[in-house]
Formats: sequence, structure tokens, C-alpha cells
Amino acid sequence: MREILRITIGLTVSCLIAALVMGAVFTITDKAKKHNEYMNVQQTMLGLLGYSKSHPAPSELKFETIYRYIVAEGQTRYLGYLVPVKKNGKENYAFLLLDLEGKLKKLYSVDMRPEAAIEASEREKALHEILKPPRKFNYADSFIIAVLGRQRVAYLIPGEFPGFKTFVRVMLALDPSFTIKGLEIMEQEEDPGLGGEIVQEYFKNQFVDKPFKKIASLKVIKKPLPSEYRKYLERKKWKKGMFTREQIEEIRKKYRSADIYALTGATISSRAVTNGVKNMVKKFAYREKMLERVIAEENIQAAF
Amino acid sequence: MATTKTPSRLVLNGLLNENPIFRLALSMCPAVGISTTVMNGLMLGTAVLFVQVCSSCTIAAIKNYIHPRIRIPTYTLTIATWVTVIDLVLSAYAPEAYKAMGIFIKLIVAFAIITMRLEVFACKNTVAMSFWDGLGMGLGFMFGMVTLGFIRELLGMGTLLGHNVLGFRPLLFFALPLAGFFCVGFMMAIFNYVELVFNRRKKRRG
Amino acid sequence: MARLRRITYLTLGFLLLAYLLVFSGCAGSQNRFIKKTSFRGTHSILITFAGPVDEEWATKASNYRVYEKPDPDIVLKISTIELSTNRQTVILHFEEPLNQNQPHMVTMRGIMTEGKSVGTAIVKVRKLYLGYLFSILIGAMLVQNFVFTKYLGLCVFFGTSQKRSTAVGMGVTFTIVIVASAMMSWFLYQFFLKPFHLDFLQIIVFIGLVSLSVQAVDTILRKVNPMLFKAFGVYLVLVIANCIILAVPLILADNEYNAAESLMLALGAGLGFLIALFLMSSVRERLELANVPPTYRGLPIAFVVAGLFALAFLGFSGMSIF
Repeated sequence: MREILRITIGLTVSCLIAALVMGAVFTITDKAKKHNEYMNVQQTMLGLLGYSKSHPAPSELKFETIYRYIVAEGQTRYLGYLVPVKKNGKENYAFLLLDLEGKLKKLYSVDMRPEAAIEASEREKALHEILKPPRKFNYADSFIIAVLGRQRVAYLIPGEFPGFKTFVRVMLALDPSFTIKGLEIMEQEEDPGLGGEIVQEYFKNQFVDKPFKKIASLKVIKKPLPSEYRKYLERKKWKKGMFTREQIEEIRKKYRSADIYALTGATISSRAVTNGVKNMVKKFAYREKMLERVIAEENIQAAF
Repeated sequence: MATTKTPSRLVLNGLLNENPIFRLALSMCPAVGISTTVMNGLMLGTAVLFVQVCSSCTIAAIKNYIHPRIRIPTYTLTIATWVTVIDLVLSAYAPEAYKAMGIFIKLIVAFAIITMRLEVFACKNTVAMSFWDGLGMGLGFMFGMVTLGFIRELLGMGTLLGHNVLGFRPLLFFALPLAGFFCVGFMMAIFNYVELVFNRRKKRRG
Repeated sequence: MARLRRITYLTLGFLLLAYLLVFSGCAGSQNRFIKKTSFRGTHSILITFAGPVDEEWATKASNYRVYEKPDPDIVLKISTIELSTNRQTVILHFEEPLNQNQPHMVTMRGIMTEGKSVGTAIVKVRKLYLGYLFSILIGAMLVQNFVFTKYLGLCVFFGTSQKRSTAVGMGVTFTIVIVASAMMSWFLYQFFLKPFHLDFLQIIVFIGLVSLSVQAVDTILRKVNPMLFKAFGVYLVLVIANCIILAVPLILADNEYNAAESLMLALGAGLGFLIALFLMSSVRERLELANVPPTYRGLPIAFVVAGLFALAFLGFSGMSIF
């Protein structure tokens, strides 16, 4: 009997100590983890806009995030956009409830600070106050508008689509006329050496500069990548004097409306990324135009 | 087993004589799965080294308080705790490397090598001795991973630690994860060959 | 007599399966007039009505509104509509391929049959759920075989694949234990760890559960069937040292699978391990007779063989059934 008691006490004590150690480490690292993740996303966004350590972003550059929700009322669906607005010179939020044809149904003002809006739980709390049951809402996605002073520089759209094996998570940058400014692969689990090559510059930079009209008909072609184009795409390997300004401009023009050259041994991955990007741009452009129209019609003082 | 337990002997023992990957053939999964680059090998090696040393020291320190009947559960508990610690730390401070290693970092908890060292060595020796033994084993594992990573990265991608060395890719095949099976097989054969030659020479001399 | 009974059981089981298949197919219909909806090919949706519909109504594209469930505002463009001769099935062809991983919603405004309207219907079109479950099972077994494409559980794999009898014993024991422990882990994760934000205790809880289920299977087998215990008892200890048994709960926790999906993944992982062991042991039994260079004898050649198997399994990569 005493034996059992000793064993139980021993186990309990060791479990407690273990839990204590893990709990302590968790509380210490959790904050750092969230901070690092946030910084990582910020860094990617800046990188897509062409800023780097040697070419830092100006301090006026601001990112405004717009969150999209799907609101259900019985059988009918609405779209809800949580949009940052300027109210008496202070940053605040507005919630635009649109029907599926893009007509404004109702406009709510949401009292929330921008720092609080980063947390999904805070946004939900604020929305619960304006959207009372039986109305239900679900977070769908978000996109970011980069603003420099009064001017809109770019749209940044995070997205996810099926790749060859599992999901590919990307961040896409578009300029105000929906021409692709950059593509960054955030997460993927394709076969290393084959489909995994989608993260390489010579693949993902092929999307840069494709105009909106071309994107709708973008295809993947199974031809070897021309060597001058490859050199041009691998921007990290550029050396001084490798290209003159005219040459760059010439190559850029030449391949602007070219299709995407497939990766060797990974045509399906290449096609998956191309189609995914295509769909993202198409959906985004449609929604952006609709939202833009509503904002202009209702004379909303948006922060962007 | 090293008869004279000096620190250097213990470390060398783990590195060569009882190399966890090539000699004991334990903890093979990461050796095959993610030894595609030197960096991966180095990172996972560091993680294993950390867990091995910490667990060895912990068990050696508390060995007199462990009831013999709950010996194994206590080992598991200790290892799991240290694995959780390194898992949390890496996911917070080195997210890139953490992503590359995926599930393997959590699976350190199931590595036979660590439990084996606790059972064979740490529960009978002092903290200092266990530290050296754990260090040897951890370094041995890291050595194995880095060697494999070196071969595969050089042959598969033509790079070393991400720097372009060869300028071309000799055999893309080695970059595929499954090439790990062949690499480990070849390395084991090489170790066997060395042993064979060594023994033959010994015989001839004796 | 016994034969008759077996046939009865088989028929019953088959009926149940067929019933399930039919049911899961039309689970989305909210209107009585719609009998069945399904995807057809890559570009089309098939809708079956309970009675004949009016041709004028059925072939008008503006009567249909189709969208992917998460994007209700983006309407998919219909290129042509095909009505069968008995006027009971309609096939909607779309301009672009449908993303069949997403459920699609089809709204049909004022369905006209024999000149009368039977009201508006909103139906969900999705892949068969049973098919989805089956694809998880096959996926874990072959496409993402844990041994040959994820490189897990290798220590035990090489340790127990020398003889075919050992391999089968290990595989069967492992399958039983992994299903039991994965289901327990899933339950504990979904209902305790996640709601209380104790995710960081994953590793310790899962490894504890594995030891617990091994102990439980050990005790039960010893009491219930000593013969079986004699045959399989030795493998039980080895199960703990297999990292697949820990990888499965971790994957379940990451992917947020539900109970049925978790069961399929665990079963697939177990059976996949069994298949791998069986294949490997068959080869290794023959290797005993082969003339292998002395430096390669034993483990090195086994690794090379496993590499060849992995190469073969790479052929399954990206395959999707259903």
C-alpha cells in the first residue's frame, strides 16, 4: 500500500514540475512568437512592394486592412466589409452590409481601435454588437491596401489554393490597376526539388508585370525558359552592369504578355499556382470594384 | 562501451563507435526524411543534442528519487517536457527552420536513442558523466545528419548551406526526400567497409 | 446453414452501404422536387428532378444561380444547359472548371413543372462524403504512405521486416493500437486541450495516451485471448517506439479532422504500415538467398530496397480518387 502511495506521489510531483516548466516556457515564448509572425508578414508585404533593408520604406507608408465577412440571415446571404474610416480625424471602423448584387443594405459604424482590430476575437466581439441573432456571420478573408500619403500604392491579398499535394499559401501584390506587382509563396508542401521549386525567383517572378487583361487568359506552357528571361527573373543574383536600363525595359516588354513557363518535372504544380493566382485576382478585382463604388456612392470617409 | 570514462572518450564513443545513425541504426526517420540540406541537419542535430543533454542531466540528477517501477514513464515525461520546450522555443524564434523540420521536431520524443541512453547510462552515472555522454550522442547524431546533408545538398542542389558551390546540379535525384534511403544505405556500407578493413589489418598484425 | 447466414449478412451490409451512398448524395437538397445533385466531369453539374420540368424554364440560364459556398457574391457563368429527353435531368455546363473541393450552391428560381410553379429551391452540390472518407483512407495507405513517403517509423520498420510472419504480426498489432490511441487523442484534443488553450501539452498528452493504450491492449489481450497474446504480445512494446503512432495524433490535431475522418486516417496509417512491412519482408526473405557483397549485408541493402520501394510509391504522388 505504501509502495503505491509513493509511486502516486512521485508521479504527481514529476507531472506537476513538468507542467510548470512547460507552462513557463509557453508564456515566455507565446508573445515572441506572435510578434515574430506579425513582423514576418510585415516584412513580406514590404518586400513585395520593392522595399528592402538597403531601400527602406518611407515612414508615411501605411497598411489598411479590410476584413470581409459572410452574413447569413435565414436563406439569404450578405457580404459584410469591415473598413477602416477616418472619423473626426481619428481612425475608426465602418461595417458595410452589401447584398449579393453589390447594393448597400445598411451602414454601421463600429467603435474599435486599429490595434484592437488585429485580433480576430476583438473584431468578433464588436460585430456581435451590431449583428444580433438570428443573423450569423463568418469571417471570410481580408486584404490590405498600402497607402503612401494620400496615394494608393498597392493591394496586398493573402490567399490559399490547392497545389499538387496539399495547400499553397501565397501573398499577392497588385497595383491600383490590378497589374501584378509581386508574388510570394508563404507556405507549401510540394515535393522538394520538383514542385517545391515554385518558391524560386525564376518561377514566381514570372507573374510580375502581368497586366489585368492578360491574367484572365494566363496559361502554362511547356517550353524551356529562355536564358535571358531567367537571368532577368533572378533578381537576387543581379550584379552591377549585368543589364543596362534599356535592356531591362526591353526584356520586360517582351515577356509582359507571355504565358507562364512550366517548371521542369512539375507542370501540375505550376498550373495549380497559375490558376490559383488567376482566380484570386479575378475575385479580388470584382469585389474591389464593387466596394469602391459603394464607398464613393455613400461618401464614406475611408482611411485609404 | 568505453571502459575508462573520460569525457573525451565518452564524446568520441558517441561520435564514432556508437554513432546513433550509422552504427546503432536508431532514429532513422529524420536521417532519411529531412537530411536534404546541411542546415536542416544542423538544426535538428542541435535540437536533439539539447534534448539528449538536458534529459540525461535531469535523470542523472534525480535518479535516486525515481521509484524503479515508474522508471520508464518518468523518462518519457522528462523527454516530452524538454521536447516541448525546444518545440516552443524554435517555433517562436526560428519559424523558418521550424517549418522546414515540420513534424520531426515533435517526434524527437519517440526517438529510441534518447530513451536508450537514459536507461543504459544516465540512470547509473553522475550528472557530469551523463552530460558528456549526452553530448557525445547528440554530436554523433548531428555528425550523421550533417554528413548526409552535405552529400545530398552538394549532389542534389549543387549548393552548401544555401551558397552556390558547383554552379550546376549534378544529380537532382539526391534532393528528393526518398534519396535518403540510398544515402543512408551507402553510408552504412562505407562504415561496414572501414570496419572490415580495420579488422583484417588487425588480424594480419596479430 | 452457416453459408446462408453469411450471404444474408453480406447482402445486408451491401444494402446499408448502398443506402448510405444514395443518402449522402442528396443530403443537400432542401426542396422536395429535387431528387439528386452531383458533379459531372470537371465542368458540369447534374440535377435530377422528381418530375418532368418545362423546357422553356429549364433551358433559361437566368433561372439558375450557382456559386461556391464561401463566395456567394461570385456567380459562376453557365455556358450551356442540357435537358434530357424525359425532361427530368438537367446538366449545367460551365465556362470554367469547377473547384470540386468546395461545396457549390445552386439556386433555382420558380421551378416550372407542367405549367405550374413549385417554388424556389436552393441545393448544395458536393462530392460524396463517403468518397471523401475513402480518399482519406487510401491517401494515408498508399498516396501518403507513412513509411515510404513520409519516412516515419523506420526503426521498427527495419527491425521487424526480416520475416513475413513477424511483419504481419507487427502490422496487425500496430493497426489495432494506432486506431485506439488516435481516437482517444482526437477526443482529448478536441474536447480538453483545444477549448482550454492547452495546445502546448500536445506532445506529453499524446505520448501518455499511446503508453496507456498499449498497456490497455496488453491487459485485455492477456485476459481475453491468451493464444493471441502469445502471438502478438511481443510486438506491443515495439509499438511505442514507432513514431507513426505519435505522428497521426499530431496530424489530426493540425488538420482539425472530425471523428470519422480521424478514424479513416488512423486506419489508413495502420494498414499502410502493414502493407509496407509485408512488401519489405517478402523482398528481404528472398534477399537472404541472394549474393550480396559483405559490406552491404543486412541493413545497408535493406535501405537500398526501401529506397526502391519509395521510388515506386512516388508514382502515387498527387493521385486523387473521387
